[in-house]
Amino acid sequence: MKNKIKVFRAMHDLTQEDLAQAIGVTRQTILAIEKGKYVPSLDLAFRISRYFRVNIEEVFMYDDEPAGTGP
Amino acid sequence: MKKNAFYLFMGSIALILLAVFWYSVEIHNPLFIEVAFIVGIVLVYYAKTRVTDLIDDERSAKITEQAMLRTFQVFWVVFCAFSIGAVMQILYVPQFPRDYLANKPHELLSPKLMGYFQLSLLCLMIFLYVGFRIYYARKYGDWETDEE
Repeated sequence: MKNKIKVFRAMHDLTQEDLAQAIGVTRQTILAIEKGKYVPSLDLAFRISRYFRVNIEEVFMYDDEPAGTGP
Repeated sequence: MKKNAFYLFMGSIALILLAVFWYSVEIHNPLFIEVAFIVGIVLVYYAKTRVTDLIDDERSAKITEQAMLRTFQVFWVVFCAFSIGAVMQILYVPQFPRDYLANKPHELLSPKLMGYFQLSLLCLMIFLYVGFRIYYARKYGDWETDEE
């Protein structure tokens, strides 16, 4: 699962701490999601996308192609 | 209650429990430490609900859940294996009791010793849990650093 949280944070001029406080998680959780170490639950993913007022697909992308494959 | 105050409270409870444990040993009454242990743990759980600056989000819940699951998966197998051994010794009825009592074989682990072993396994479970917790915290990015 890829995400553009870092991009949206930059667009809204937010730090990881700001976003974490706004959606009620720890800064470490935001960092882990951004780095792909942790896949958030559907509930948290919706909360993040709603905070940025965009659709969930714009923030999170399901990466279904294994590495090294494709046309 | 602040997070640091909670940690201080937890430390105090641990020290009190240690004192009660020694008192129980002195008066040779296990009831004191048994009741004190339950009361102490209930107090800690209650105090944890009153902490205002401790964020327990879904990632930390998942780390705890995974660590607990793996600890139990390892623990129950080892615990049951040794417990079955103890039950086998208790249930054993010799075919020729007179011969058995005359030449009683040396028991590798007596039921009493098995009890101590089970107690030590319970204590080791704490270390096993801490180990798994460190592993999963690392897996889910607890010690990741960033430019911020």
